[in-house]
Amino acid sequence: MMSSKAHSSNNIANARRTVQQLRIEASIERIKVSKACADLMSYCSEHARSDPLLMGIPASDNPFKDKKPCTIL
Amino acid sequence: NVLCRCCGCRTLLLLLLLWKLEEHLLPLNETLAHLKTESETLKSKLEEERAKLHDVELHQVAEKVEGLGQFVMKTRRTLKGHGNKVLCMDWCKDKRRIVSSSQDGKVIVWDAFTTNKEHAVTMPCTWVMACAYAPSGCAVACGGLDNKCSVYPLSLDKNENLAAKKKSVAMHTNYLSACSFTNSDMQILTSSGDGTCALWDVESGQLLQSFHGHAADVLCLDLAPSETGNTFVSGGCDKKANVWDMRSGQCIQSFETHESDINSVRYYPSGDAFASGSDDATCRLYDLRADREVAIYSKESIIFGVSSVDFSLSGRLLFGGYNDYTINVWDVLKGTRVSILFGHENRVSTLRVSPDGTAFSTGSWDHTLRVCDDCYFLSNLTTLQPRVTFLVTSCNVCCFSLFFFFLSDLGLRMRTQRMKW
Repeated sequence: MMSSKAHSSNNIANARRTVQQLRIEASIERIKVSKACADLMSYCSEHARSDPLLMGIPASDNPFKDKKPCTIL
Repeated sequence: NVLCRCCGCRTLLLLLLLWKLEEHLLPLNETLAHLKTESETLKSKLEEERAKLHDVELHQVAEKVEGLGQFVMKTRRTLKGHGNKVLCMDWCKDKRRIVSSSQDGKVIVWDAFTTNKEHAVTMPCTWVMACAYAPSGCAVACGGLDNKCSVYPLSLDKNENLAAKKKSVAMHTNYLSACSFTNSDMQILTSSGDGTCALWDVESGQLLQSFHGHAADVLCLDLAPSETGNTFVSGGCDKKANVWDMRSGQCIQSFETHESDINSVRYYPSGDAFASGSDDATCRLYDLRADREVAIYSKESIIFGVSSVDFSLSGRLLFGGYNDYTINVWDVLKGTRVSILFGHENRVSTLRVSPDGTAFSTGSWDHTLRVCDDCYFLSNLTTLQPRVTFLVTSCNVCCFSLFFFFLSDLGLRMRTQRMKW
């Protein structure tokens, strides 16, 4: 009898926590997806020039590139 | 005023009475059934609110952005030395050193330029699933099946036994899955198979904050870029990605769209979004301000789970290490794959882009780590039209002008190849 009471009060505590958590999540301020995407895109374009994996950098600046003579495929 | 019949004491029975009274006096809306109903209502309200603002898809907004063409990635360095599966790696802020950890219990610090091993530590356990470099470059943290996260200061003296100076910082009740220093060497954030994340003070080993909310093992975490404040994201076996406030311990946002365990999470460089990689073979992008998933990176031909994801510096490229031994590179905005890299002979278990974005490193169950970057890319002739000068570029090494035409698989379009050495 004791254990079922403890179990049910545990369930209630968990459910209470879930409800509180959901209340917090439901109440946050959101923006439109179109605005959010536009911001992601503008960040990309602003920083594209300085993204070595996107733009590539000269061999002299890249420490991982070996300086070998080129081969014609 | 009830007296106990055996000993005449009042207190025990009074307590029992109060307990029974409390149950009956609980406000009606606090009973289990009502709480469950309210939680269902709140969940649908949450979905409704999110859906209201879902006016467009990311790839639609990105239609006007110029396409990237196809990249070809190349392995520049192979780091050999681990005796078993490489499970985790991290870059040092000096963009040159790497720390890696393995199933064989070893943690190795490498110079990625020369491939030399600078330090090696043998942990008392196998399966060292997590390792991280301290921001100062003077220490590394690691842990795994020992349920702990330990910090090893790195000595300049190569002969010194690092294990002697080991400091045990974090204690969980199950395996350590990930760890990360915060902005300084003073605090470490950990995630564990015990379903929690925790923030620790390195010096004292004290628990500063714990984060409860995942319903199963937490497999990964990532700290928000420092400009965006004190939050971090975690992903777990409960298929959820949770965003946490580090100061209060509160979960502020939760995303549950993956269909299986989330193995890796990584913030977008601006801090406004994060990507996740999962056993469901997809990577997804979640925008924090729109509070929803905004892109999925998947292909029917990709059926193996993603173990690890990271962004390039601008956030335009998303690198994913997969359990089918490959690395797929995605155009974050358009949702298309721009490159696939082969080379590892077993699962890719960990992947990180270097701090200055010049290369990325991968670790694999094939016992090796590789450092890769792109050596050239192919673009449609049509997109190169406005930049005709690039077509007659000269090789950096021999100054010979190179200008190639070759037919694509379909034989229908001409592509030019720009050689970057």
